[in-house]
Amino acid sequence: MKSPVKPANEETGDAMTRRRALSWMSGFGLFGSLIITVLSNVIFIKPRATYGQPNRFSIGKPDEFPSGARVSLDTRRVCIVRDGDKIAAISTTCTHLGCIVSVSETGFACPCHGSRYDQDGTVTGGPAPRALPWYQVSLAPNGDIEVDKDTEIEQGTYLRV
Amino acid sequence: MSTQTKSSPWKSLVQLPENVWRSIFRNPLPSSDLGRAQTSFTNFFLHLHPVKVHRNSLKATFTLGLGLISFFLFFILVVTGILLMFYYVPSTAQAYDRMLDLRGTVAFGIFLRNMHRWAAHGMVAAVFLHMCRVFLTGSYKPPREFNWVLGVLLLLVTLFMSFTGYLLPWDQLAFWAITVGTSIASYAPLVGKDVKFILLGDSTVGQEALLRFYVLHVAVLPVVLTSLVAIHFWRIRKDGGLSRPEEEDALPADAPAKVEVVTAPAVVMATSPAAAAAAEPVLQKRHYGIQGLVRGPFTKVGNVPDRSVFAWPNLFMAELVVFLITVAGVLTVSLFFNAPLEEPVNVMHPPNPAKAPWYFLGLQEQVSYSAFWGGVGIPTIEVLLLLIVPYIDRKVAGVGRWFARERLLANFLFLSFVIVNVILIIIGTFFRGPNWEFVSPW
Repeated sequence: MKSPVKPANEETGDAMTRRRALSWMSGFGLFGSLIITVLSNVIFIKPRATYGQPNRFSIGKPDEFPSGARVSLDTRRVCIVRDGDKIAAISTTCTHLGCIVSVSETGFACPCHGSRYDQDGTVTGGPAPRALPWYQVSLAPNGDIEVDKDTEIEQGTYLRV
Repeated sequence: MSTQTKSSPWKSLVQLPENVWRSIFRNPLPSSDLGRAQTSFTNFFLHLHPVKVHRNSLKATFTLGLGLISFFLFFILVVTGILLMFYYVPSTAQAYDRMLDLRGTVAFGIFLRNMHRWAAHGMVAAVFLHMCRVFLTGSYKPPREFNWVLGVLLLLVTLFMSFTGYLLPWDQLAFWAITVGTSIASYAPLVGKDVKFILLGDSTVGQEALLRFYVLHVAVLPVVLTSLVAIHFWRIRKDGGLSRPEEEDALPADAPAKVEVVTAPAVVMATSPAAAAAAEPVLQKRHYGIQGLVRGPFTKVGNVPDRSVFAWPNLFMAELVVFLITVAGVLTVSLFFNAPLEEPVNVMHPPNPAKAPWYFLGLQEQVSYSAFWGGVGIPTIEVLLLLIVPYIDRKVAGVGRWFARERLLANFLFLSFVIVNVILIIIGTFFRGPNWEFVSPW
């Protein structure tokens, strides 16, 4: 709607421009603050330290795993596989939806949605999208085997002991 | 002693109860229309309602009372939830023991837990059925589009409320349902892994996850849900009440001549004749409507037949009846059925099969075919479709009637969506056994 009263002089026009500029800046500032608030909340609730069990742990001496052993350490969510002098750690967390797979005769089987894997963790059936990851295994100076769940290695890579 | 004086202390004392009562309740029980109107808008709890409500809104066969049932179930959940908080500890070491205490030592403990569990299941069902009612009566059409959007959001928050509550007993069901549920979230593109990590506060379900789910369940989500419910209710009135068929607002054939609402010109306050003359063309364009702020047929005063009735007592009695039925239903179910509690969490042995609560079993069934499409892709598409439905299907025909002929296609599509999901839930519930293999329930 057109205002019946025209701006009295140039000064009034300037005042309106200044007001508009200030409202734009305030709006921009308030919106920016909102975004910063949301972002800082997301950063806040994403934990920097976790309090669960560590991802790098010792599993004992190599002798504890005789050749041909397939020992599932369920609390650690890894399966230790020993074949002759070769040793490896395969994840037992199903790649589908995170259930713990159990060691079966043919490899691994998941109780939740029926995913099946062979001895090496390759998917042989069910909805699992990819193979069970293998984790880095190393020999600590004191002779213990160490598993590092933060480092995934290629399937079929063994540690010789 | 003069007891006749108006301001004597004795008389004040005698009138004290009545004066206190009158100061709280401004109106006596109404016996006139003016009184009925005043009762509605001078009472804090009643003023949320309109003074008058259309007869169609009170028809039980039209609404089935599903919105009210959802709200009253939420009310029961808040009350029982706060009571349960007095005895619950969100710690992996204590949570399960507290569940056993509720069963064994806490007075009414088992009963409160039953009420909370069954009301939660009931609320998921009631909210979903309410959505079906709104769709099948075409009530999401303009001007009610945004309230439909709010309703879809409310359904999602309700499901999330139930999901976060599921972990708290810290039994096997809780642990594995949340393990599976948060893993589904991790399939979302780009943000999936972060969402899972933020939800759990760790890489696996543990103490951090329990604490986070507890805070979400008892503080964050109830506030979100309450705010959305408030806006949802507010919008019902601002959008002109519940939907109703057009015939309800049509004049009968033998109606008297239309009443013309004549708008009087505004009084001009002019300091000089020149200024008044300058302002005149503008003023002539102005129109003053009655209740110009409220949209919908209610504003057409004089153009539509008045088929509304006073909220007091018609609407309030209807609400009271629905409330009593809801409470009675929850109490009855809680008396006869105990909320399940499985073995305490055993991280080493997932139950086989590990099943989510029934309303997520359709999702779990989809997930068993493809984690991404079943758990993220298809649900996202479904939610997006629900959200934009009122902006696509804008033809205002067949509104306010169940299964209107004009809406055959829309209703057919919606019902197929409902039936497919119900079938998936039935398959997931009854036809899936160990290793999620097909079993026959007979």
